[in-house]
Amino acid sequence: MELLAQLGQGFVAAATPMNLLMCLLGVVLGQIIGVLPGIGPSAAIALLLPLTYGSSPTGAVIMFAGIYYGAQYGGTLTSVLINVPGESSSVMTTLDGYQMALQGRGGVALGIAAIGSFIAGCLGTVGLMLLAPPLSKVALAFGPPEYCALVLLGLTALAAVGGSVLKGLATGTAGMLLGTIGIDPQVGVPRFDFGQLWLLDGVDFIVLAVALFGVGEVLASCRMGAADPILNVGRVLPNREEWRQARMAILRGSGIGFLIGILPAAGATIASFVAYIAEKKVAKDPSRFGKGAIEGVAGPESANNAASAGAMVPMFALGVPGSNTTAVMLAALIMFGLRPGPDMFTTNASLVWAVIASMFIGNLILLVLNLPLAGLFARLLQIRYRWIYPPILAICLTGVVSHANNVEDAWLMLAFGALGWLMKRYDWSAAPMILGLVLGPIFENSLRQSLTLSHGSGTIFLTRPISAVLFALAVMAVTAPLWSRIFRAKTV
Amino acid sequence: MNHRIAPGELILALFFALLGGLWVVAALRMPLWQGFIPQSGFMPLWYGITLAGLAAAILARLWLGKEQPRQEEPIGKALVVIAVIAATVLGFELIGFAPSIFLLLLVLFAAVERLPLARSAAVAAGVTAVLFLIFRTWLRVSLPVGPLGI
Repeated sequence: MELLAQLGQGFVAAATPMNLLMCLLGVVLGQIIGVLPGIGPSAAIALLLPLTYGSSPTGAVIMFAGIYYGAQYGGTLTSVLINVPGESSSVMTTLDGYQMALQGRGGVALGIAAIGSFIAGCLGTVGLMLLAPPLSKVALAFGPPEYCALVLLGLTALAAVGGSVLKGLATGTAGMLLGTIGIDPQVGVPRFDFGQLWLLDGVDFIVLAVALFGVGEVLASCRMGAADPILNVGRVLPNREEWRQARMAILRGSGIGFLIGILPAAGATIASFVAYIAEKKVAKDPSRFGKGAIEGVAGPESANNAASAGAMVPMFALGVPGSNTTAVMLAALIMFGLRPGPDMFTTNASLVWAVIASMFIGNLILLVLNLPLAGLFARLLQIRYRWIYPPILAICLTGVVSHANNVEDAWLMLAFGALGWLMKRYDWSAAPMILGLVLGPIFENSLRQSLTLSHGSGTIFLTRPISAVLFALAVMAVTAPLWSRIFRAKTV
Repeated sequence: MNHRIAPGELILALFFALLGGLWVVAALRMPLWQGFIPQSGFMPLWYGITLAGLAAAILARLWLGKEQPRQEEPIGKALVVIAVIAATVLGFELIGFAPSIFLLLLVLFAAVERLPLARSAAVAAGVTAVLFLIFRTWLRVSLPVGPLGI
């Protein structure tokens, strides 16, 4: 009852004309940021931070939160329409979202992403409201062995994402291998930099994603003498059958996204990977995935939005950032003279509840904006491809160069783009490579830290309950096809 | 072996096998294990071995004809586009960001796709201006600058 009263007060504070305007500004800016490759929500908030100095902390934090979850949806637009993930958390959406667009169901893909994001955003906010203090304690129990086990669970996705298991494993391992380029974070020595200073920072996710998905797709689609078809936009709202297929995916994605979002450094990217794999595992016909399955859009999209709410749990309850973006938001709270931490819910209750209430409002604004706009955005597909692909290449180049202000990254993008083109021609899935690049360094660091903690004993992974459960889940995920084959053989 | 292996598929498998091999060789020159802790070369060594092994398995499947052959499509235009992108990246440091992007768009529209020149120039200028405004003016990203200052 007390919670509802506080939420009511939060709505009163969030519904002032100024705060509503900040919320609208935040979600719209977030969406634009999400569309642009190379500029993430954390960079956008950092850029806007000086402009909010002197304004109301509540309004500023409402706007920053709006940018955060608005960006998650913005990344969806480019993933579905042009196969370029604007954010790492949108990589999985490209797999089925773009296929849906090619089948003339781009409107439905954007529509279900908007509906899923709305439901997941609201459920995540309810989770934030009810579970922040107890869940943040669980998140703190995550040490290196638990992270190692969680990443191992994510890595089981490598074989499941692509069409060919062998090729998926190969490209995934190649991604992990690329993740070792740069300074070894454990001992601070350079590895695999081949004497190039610009490689000391490693291969950035955005360079690889833009190259493999954006440039590779363009090179594969602009072939000489190819037809230049005008794609259908189709309807935006899912029909009864599509809704039946997507509704459980949205709920599962919301749960997965929220729980993984709470874990510091895990965030929306791993959440969307795990949600996609979960959908593929529970599907009656997993072969539909990668060919335009609506659950392949609904699950990851719900997960990445719920993860944004989840990432605010440790930020508000403990003063620990759950992601890059919440780290910048935390800096903003400190700049406004607030002290994030366990007493945030008591000493700054009005701000916290206003932000929570604004997240409900912001998610509603996103839905109201995006359902009508989805059809408009999807009309991009009706422009002839020969007018579309040169601007896509220009955006890819600009995004990559601006990301680290480094022209060498553009060369790297070109090389990986050519590789992505070949991979697409011969059905080598690109998504496991991205997954490997993102998860590889986390896996290596957590493994080395765990073995340091245990003095080299591998039993540390089995003696800690959370890590043991996650390891068991990873083993189950790998062996599930084998067990189901044995089970089927026995029942026939 | 009486089937034809697609050259591109072979190139990909060989590329990944060589990449794995390169990582193995380089990792062996790094410390692998000290006391009870894996060192810098340990994980790269295993990644390299795994990648080389997987690529070898794919090569074997190709050799045995177990991979479905793909229909080859023309590659001429893709190679032209790669060359145009390479010229654009070269241009970033020579003539600056905005002129390079404008030329990339103009060449692709007018020369590669043979679209009307005036319309191509107008769209190229518009897209370049929007990108310049968003990234340079609004987000204040410092992009490569040429003799024209843009």
